[in-house]
Amino acid sequence: MKKIFSLGLFLVSLYVGAQQVSFEEYDLPNGLHVILHQDNTAPVVITSVAYHVGAKDEDPQRTGFAHFFEHLLFEGTQNIERGEWFKIVSANGGQNNATTNDDRTYYYEVFPSNNLELGLWMESERLLHPIINQIGVDTQNEVVKEERRLRVDNQPYGRILEAVKENIFKKHPYRWTTIGSMEHLDAATLDEFLAFNKKFYVPNNATLVVAGDIDIAKTKKMVEDYFGPIPRGAEISKDFPKEDPITSPIKAEFSDPNIQLPASVIAYRTPSFKTRDARVLDMISTYLSDGKSSVLYKKLVDEQKKALAVQAINLSQEDYSTYIVFGIPMGGTSLSDLVADIDLEIAKLQTDLISERDFQKLQNKIENQFVNSNTSVSGIASNLANYHMLYGDTNLINTEIDLYRSITREEIREVAKKYLNPNQRLVLDYVPEKNN
Amino acid sequence: MKRIEMKFITMVMAVFFSLTLFAQIDRSQQPKPGPAPKIQLGAPQEFQLNNGLKVLVVENHKLPRVNISLTLDNAPLLEGEKAGVVDLFAAMIGNGTASIPKDKYNEEVDFLGASINFSGSGAFANSLSKYFPRILQLMADGLQNPLFTEEEFQKEKDKLIEGLKTDAKSVTAAARRVEAALAYGTSHPYGEFVTEASVNNISLADVQRYHQNFFVPENAYLIVVGDVTFSEVKTLVEKEFISWTSAKAPNITYTSPTDAQYTQINFVDMPNAVQSEIAVQNLISLKLSDPDYFPLLIANNILGGGANARLFLNLREDKGFTYGAYSRVGNDKRYPVRFVASASVRNAVTDSAVTEFLKEIKKIRTETVTEEELSSAKAEYNGSFVMSLENPQTQARFALNILTENLPADFYETYLQKINAVTKEDVLRVAKKYYKADNLRIVVTGKASEVLEGLQKLNLPIFYFDKYANKVENPLLKKNDLPTTTPDVVLENYLKAVGGRDKADAVNSVYSLATMEGAAPFALKVTSKTMVPNKQVAEISADGMGTLQKLVFNGESGYQEAQGQKVSLEGEQLSEQKNERPIFPELYYVQEGYKLTVEGFENVSEQEAYKLKVVSPAGKESFRYYAKDSGLLLQTEASISAQGMTLTQTATYADYRDVSGIKVPFEVTQSVGPQKFTVKFTDIKINEGVSEADFQN
Repeated sequence: MKKIFSLGLFLVSLYVGAQQVSFEEYDLPNGLHVILHQDNTAPVVITSVAYHVGAKDEDPQRTGFAHFFEHLLFEGTQNIERGEWFKIVSANGGQNNATTNDDRTYYYEVFPSNNLELGLWMESERLLHPIINQIGVDTQNEVVKEERRLRVDNQPYGRILEAVKENIFKKHPYRWTTIGSMEHLDAATLDEFLAFNKKFYVPNNATLVVAGDIDIAKTKKMVEDYFGPIPRGAEISKDFPKEDPITSPIKAEFSDPNIQLPASVIAYRTPSFKTRDARVLDMISTYLSDGKSSVLYKKLVDEQKKALAVQAINLSQEDYSTYIVFGIPMGGTSLSDLVADIDLEIAKLQTDLISERDFQKLQNKIENQFVNSNTSVSGIASNLANYHMLYGDTNLINTEIDLYRSITREEIREVAKKYLNPNQRLVLDYVPEKNN
Repeated sequence: MKRIEMKFITMVMAVFFSLTLFAQIDRSQQPKPGPAPKIQLGAPQEFQLNNGLKVLVVENHKLPRVNISLTLDNAPLLEGEKAGVVDLFAAMIGNGTASIPKDKYNEEVDFLGASINFSGSGAFANSLSKYFPRILQLMADGLQNPLFTEEEFQKEKDKLIEGLKTDAKSVTAAARRVEAALAYGTSHPYGEFVTEASVNNISLADVQRYHQNFFVPENAYLIVVGDVTFSEVKTLVEKEFISWTSAKAPNITYTSPTDAQYTQINFVDMPNAVQSEIAVQNLISLKLSDPDYFPLLIANNILGGGANARLFLNLREDKGFTYGAYSRVGNDKRYPVRFVASASVRNAVTDSAVTEFLKEIKKIRTETVTEEELSSAKAEYNGSFVMSLENPQTQARFALNILTENLPADFYETYLQKINAVTKEDVLRVAKKYYKADNLRIVVTGKASEVLEGLQKLNLPIFYFDKYANKVENPLLKKNDLPTTTPDVVLENYLKAVGGRDKADAVNSVYSLATMEGAAPFALKVTSKTMVPNKQVAEISADGMGTLQKLVFNGESGYQEAQGQKVSLEGEQLSEQKNERPIFPELYYVQEGYKLTVEGFENVSEQEAYKLKVVSPAGKESFRYYAKDSGLLLQTEASISAQGMTLTQTATYADYRDVSGIKVPFEVTQSVGPQKFTVKFTDIKINEGVSEADFQN
């Protein structure tokens, strides 16, 4: 009896053992949350800080601020002169960057592991006393405008997200894009930037992750030395307006000067990525469009040649998610025909259970994604920060797969029925701009 | 009291002491790095099959996954009129095999949660290690026995053509296409691109032929990295790849491309652009095994390697022109690669950005870099090299490069040593050698109506192209700006400019003596005598070597002589010689029935010129460019056929001087393909020094 039992346990722990991301987490007295992950297999260390501030925290008259800060906070600190940041990183063999989305801003340096202290020093400098002045604001204002032109205004299909968001969200600040409005940035004063920094760039709104080739005890000491003295800031309350449910279809059109072929976009407003339903929707998008045997690809692109491309994306966020199905029609197919064909497949999901084999396929895909999501220390650091800050449970890095595994075929049907209905969505015709 | 005071002081001291203990770091000082981490450079295990396939295995058991990649180290192929064969091949392969139908194959790969992607030069698969044997099997079957049907072919062809349209208005897509096409020419594999017309020329047989000829094991490398054992891989690979028929892919070589003759702007108008794509480029020959590889890596890192490089710091951090400005140099064992410095900038600063690019290129070629820049660049490579070892693929990549790039076995073990040995002088030397300030092609893709005026002020010649790299007119010259001038007027202006029609008519013969440079390693002397309408004698000689080449033509017949061998002019050559009018052909066009059209304006030798199209009665086409201001002839262009290739022969005319009241160019530069030579006249005589007797055969 006992032997068989322990054999079973052994198998389970062997499996988890190959996957487990071990970490230690604690709060400093000033509220900074610290997560340490030790992995000495390669001489690499990452120091990263996530701030719980994103585009949704902006004044509706000052959109683009959160992302603007991602630029501004490389301009220098009281001990790092303007223009020196990149030089210090390079001169020590490192790399650095930052990203912003609607929910958080994330800064990081990756160094050979002998520069751990340097990374901690730089991130603590950024948090403690960045220099925010008019020269920096003016320069980065131009740079950010170029970023918008590069990524949005000069790219085919570059403004789909903007068009979807402004139609799906009416009250919640997800209604604008992360890059924001250039007019707002032009109008912003230096005092407004300073106030934004004072409010959001405080240790009690931040998560520090140190991952890689580290010694835990020494790292803790250094973290204490560099981040301990940073004063706590005022508490931040997050109280965003709630959206009213969408009850009748929204129809919209958007024209893009950079395209020749139109696209059809269907978008549903769905719940936060913290919910079980959001994870079910992830599985549905895999079922619909991931891989050559997925239903939409196989039917619309391969068999019927009605679409050049078709893609279902569950754009998951902290407060709401947006479920988007995007297709470029081919040959004589009209945008509305394409929507009707997509609807047919969604309707099937809502009435029939997916096959056992398709269900097993989803499980295999999830397992593969899970194994591949934690392959580098910088990837692990970013996942740890997100799971703590946005999901409220750091250990999801190890356990989220169990949540996915527990989803049933019946739930897939129910969730499709609950959210993916024609009266709850936006149908957007994304069309070429007429030549003037 | 005193005691209390004492106690107070002790307390203060204690607090102070503990404070200093606590605040022992001085954050005004940048922390110093610890001792450099030790590097462990492992090597993959290798074996080879009899059919030539080489296999590299890196065992890494950290995660239960495996990556498999197949690299075919084939020479690049020019697809020409059928550009798109490889794209269609890549879209079709991996959809079933001779024994597994398409849907079943695709479903099984998806079912296992894996992916297998094929391209024209290999394949890549990712899988959980528990499904590795089956995925390897599917991949092996997929690449050896692909299922190619007419139905699938038609479908992928339609999709490819439709797919071209998604990028039709993309400024960046147009920019990348034209940049490559202008650097290499469209008859080089690196310069050609796929169009709807070329896709329509392709048949299923072309795709099958590509598979047969190029998907062969002779230069193939299979790399397996991940949670596997060497012996497991060896057993499986031997089983699945043993029947792959041994063969070597065709190795066709192409003429190496050449740089622009002089630094110039190549402009592509995209009226929907909100940013200009700028690429400043020239060709370089650089292999991974070249000694210059490391110095150039450092030079490029300092010029435009990243956020700490000069281009980024200048164009972004200082000027705010762009989101990023970078430069890169590639390496290639077969053909020249490009040095490219590039950025996407807003329309209003396009010309200023070009100026800054040129300034930075000039600076790195003329001034030594600073000690700080040099050591920082080295540190970056040291760091990224160390960090790249985190990825188990790195080991495999290093081993593959050693095998395919003809590198010494210790290339990567001594990599950092070589990086660290680069000096400031090395950097200056390679910057001068590889950044060709006089032969830059500055490709700007943007909105003409907003950026062209600024570019025209840069005093660089500008040539215009459409988004498929075809030469076009200045896009700002609207239809009604096109010259209303007729060919007669252009010709009359020209004759007036050289001294008047009467004077031109009175020229009966021309004698000239010239030196020619660039055609041979030593100076050549050219003597030429011509007489109206078509008599001609020309002789090329060199000091101490006598006559090297000679042409004699009396108006009806003649011969060519080279190294003592006389060959009579016959056939097409004879009739061309008969029809040639060496002295003022402009005087004959109308009466001899040539068709003339003024095609527009173009920039030639930094002057605006009328482009005159000349079609002979026999249908031969050529172009002549006459300066708009001076009226003088600036350039001629004609196509010639040589060794099965069509080349453009260009002659530019300069240094006009007065000879007996007639203006004559004293410098003529001829170029044919990559060849270029300059003829400088030392003496020209009109109506003297030539007699009928000179032309006797």
